[in-house]
Amino acid sequence: MPTRPSVGIVDYDAGNLRSLQNALEAISAEVLLVRDPSKLDRCTHLVLPGVGAFAHCVKGLRESGMAESLTEWATVRHRPLLGICVGMQMLADAGEEHGESPGLGWIPGRVRRLPASPGARVPHVGWNGVHFGRSCSSLDADYYFDHSFRLCPADNSDAWGVTSHGESFCAAVRRDSIIGVQFHPEKSQEAGLRFLRWFLERPTESPC
Amino acid sequence: MLKRRLIPKLLVCTVESGGGRRRQTLVTTRAFVPAKVVGSPVSQAKIYEAQLADELAILRIDPGPIAEDMQLLETIERLAAETFMPLTVGGGVVFVDDFHLLLSKGADKVAINSAAVRSPNLIGEAARRFGGQCVVVSIDVRAGLCGAEVCIDRGATRTGIDPVEWAREAADRGAGEILVCDIDRDGSGEGLNLQLGQQIARAVDVPIILSGGCGRAEHLVDGFVGGSADAVAAGTYFCLRDQNPLQARSHVANAGIPIRMGT
Repeated sequence: MPTRPSVGIVDYDAGNLRSLQNALEAISAEVLLVRDPSKLDRCTHLVLPGVGAFAHCVKGLRESGMAESLTEWATVRHRPLLGICVGMQMLADAGEEHGESPGLGWIPGRVRRLPASPGARVPHVGWNGVHFGRSCSSLDADYYFDHSFRLCPADNSDAWGVTSHGESFCAAVRRDSIIGVQFHPEKSQEAGLRFLRWFLERPTESPC
Repeated sequence: MLKRRLIPKLLVCTVESGGGRRRQTLVTTRAFVPAKVVGSPVSQAKIYEAQLADELAILRIDPGPIAEDMQLLETIERLAAETFMPLTVGGGVVFVDDFHLLLSKGADKVAINSAAVRSPNLIGEAARRFGGQCVVVSIDVRAGLCGAEVCIDRGATRTGIDPVEWAREAADRGAGEILVCDIDRDGSGEGLNLQLGQQIARAVDVPIILSGGCGRAEHLVDGFVGGSADAVAAGTYFCLRDQNPLQARSHVANAGIPIRMGT
């Protein structure tokens, strides 16, 4: 295990990776932009970003030719992977934005529109408190969100962090070495950097 | 629970700095006319981040297309590299490709104003390509003979369009947020246009950012309560007053409004 983590950011033309790269470098990680599977061997951790529409992101990832290698990384080799925003949503079976489209299917569940209600405008934009399971309460904080859809896991044991906007919903999922967060740690100032540091430093098998 | 947001507005323009060199400077405005030079936008942004600002809005006030403004693009790159908070960038966005350019420089959201009024299809195109969450429709308003009207071209051109109707249309077309600024109140310190905020908040489901006229911490509270704002943006108030986002925040919290107090 190298002392300095090498984080691969999966680069499939899904928007701006600069902020994520800056945030990871600020906590002393080495960052690689991964455009093809050959670079995966050099990575200790992977981050799967995603901005924009679900179907567009899934299509981009499939066309990049990396979906299969990522599936092997996360579900066969159980190496650490963090999906952010639409990168979290893509972990699900399917999404409903602009028509039904399949996701990666690593976390059973669907991506649905967050309903607007009095006092809960959509998109859900801004800082909201996230509560993680008891063993991870040190990560509880306000994080920055900007989204209209969210992942509804089929299996409650995959729901790891919750927040509330009109209704309670799943803000973070976790299954083995796979983690997904709906918020943007790279835009969440100190709390976000703390979260990313935790992702890089935690032992894979520990409860938190 | 979702917190209300305080957003410092960084109004930037390019000035000659001697020897033919040009640099970006931060200014305050009064009724959209530059009033005072504040200094470097990047240093000021870092101060705001340390003071727990929730986001930054970087609004360029120079004329012409934003895509040709190399100084501004460089400023955005530096802001994205040196701060870890959401950045909304606008001022001279004309084409849907400008979204791509600004996002690639480190913006998280792009504000469109005059171009959206001239070609409303831009809103839907950008929302489909980049997601509605990054499309902020900015609406500048001035009092007219028959109520408030939308003004474009940095306030210079009156359109006769009703701001509430325009906000509704923008949201229907896919805007993720509406940023409203009252030009007459800009830099006046007289307080926000609460009636306008409330009317627009009633007309749309997307978040409203209210701006123009903050002079005291009470005005922020008024904006959230009477103005139904999800966020308040202010330029002069944060730049020049002996008030910073941290102090303003404690005032808002003490009024019983949910707001972020620490990280």
